[in-house]
Amino acid sequence: MRGFSSPVFFLNIEFFITEGIDNEKMLRYQENNELHRDFHGTTNTTLNYIAENYGVDALKALLRKTGHDVYKSIRVKLEKGDASELIEHLNWFFYRENGKFQLTVDGNEIRFEVFECPAHKHLKSLGMEISPYSCLQTSEVNAGMCEGTCWTSSVEILGEGHCMQIFRKKVDK
Amino acid sequence: MIPSDHFVRFYNEVFKFLDERNGLEKYYAHISAHQEFHCLKDFSEKKLKGVYDYYVKIRKEENCGMELRLEKDCIYLGMTACPSLAKAIDNDAGACPKYCLHCPGWTFPLYRKAGLFQVKDMMGLDNPACRSWIFEDREKAQKKYEELLKTCPAEMIKKNF
Repeated sequence: MRGFSSPVFFLNIEFFITEGIDNEKMLRYQENNELHRDFHGTTNTTLNYIAENYGVDALKALLRKTGHDVYKSIRVKLEKGDASELIEHLNWFFYRENGKFQLTVDGNEIRFEVFECPAHKHLKSLGMEISPYSCLQTSEVNAGMCEGTCWTSSVEILGEGHCMQIFRKKVDK
Repeated sequence: MIPSDHFVRFYNEVFKFLDERNGLEKYYAHISAHQEFHCLKDFSEKKLKGVYDYYVKIRKEENCGMELRLEKDCIYLGMTACPSLAKAIDNDAGACPKYCLHCPGWTFPLYRKAGLFQVKDMMGLDNPACRSWIFEDREKAQKKYEELLKTCPAEMIKKNF
């Protein structure tokens, strides 16, 4: 069984984790093999292409739809108040890409600070210019995952390749 | 960040978006130009050996089920388990019916620019398998193309020349 083995900090995790969850089944898309990081390059050029040919609003809509439809499993769990797959998704896929991050879960808030974006790091290693729309991948896909649920998302850009992704559960007053 | 593991599922959404706007062909040309950054120098200078080396790397990094043979006159690339289409299918968003067409869409112009001649048997657009032959000699490529037309559905056989 795969565990939370990367540099992760969990607080009040009992709110999310149900006894007996099998991590291998927690993620809809199981990915454990080799990585082809050059895909970040194709994503980068595609973001520019869509924005330049169809407009930034169309790009945002496309990314949001990707978050909503591709990550249906995460979204459906969020609808039920269960953030377990979202947490595992953030943790596992950034760990696989050797990202430097800190994940903090505290009650109704998930804070995911990425200190060095793996995509930006790879693009720089290739000598490619980072798309000005690059961070929309994060903000719009996260928003799509949360759409129609009791969760909201936001992204604060703290520097080049450095951001804070925040997911908050709306609390009824 | 869209994880590189999930790029294919984003790509699949891009194809749906562009297909609705009749924009696939123009995008394929753009991606082909982008791929020149990764491949064109080696393909142009090393010819078949350059292509072979590229696909040895791709086979590993993309976890492909792929039979790859560098023969005297050509490269045979038999995709027996395409991880790209397989991910597009294993996807809550559903696969774009034209997903497979991106492959000839970007490779054909690139090989053409490198002076290489490609013949491809798509083997169905919902089947994560295909076959390609890449030649340095146009006449040999044409001969393979005609040979395939005798045994395969014509709409599945494509060439870049």
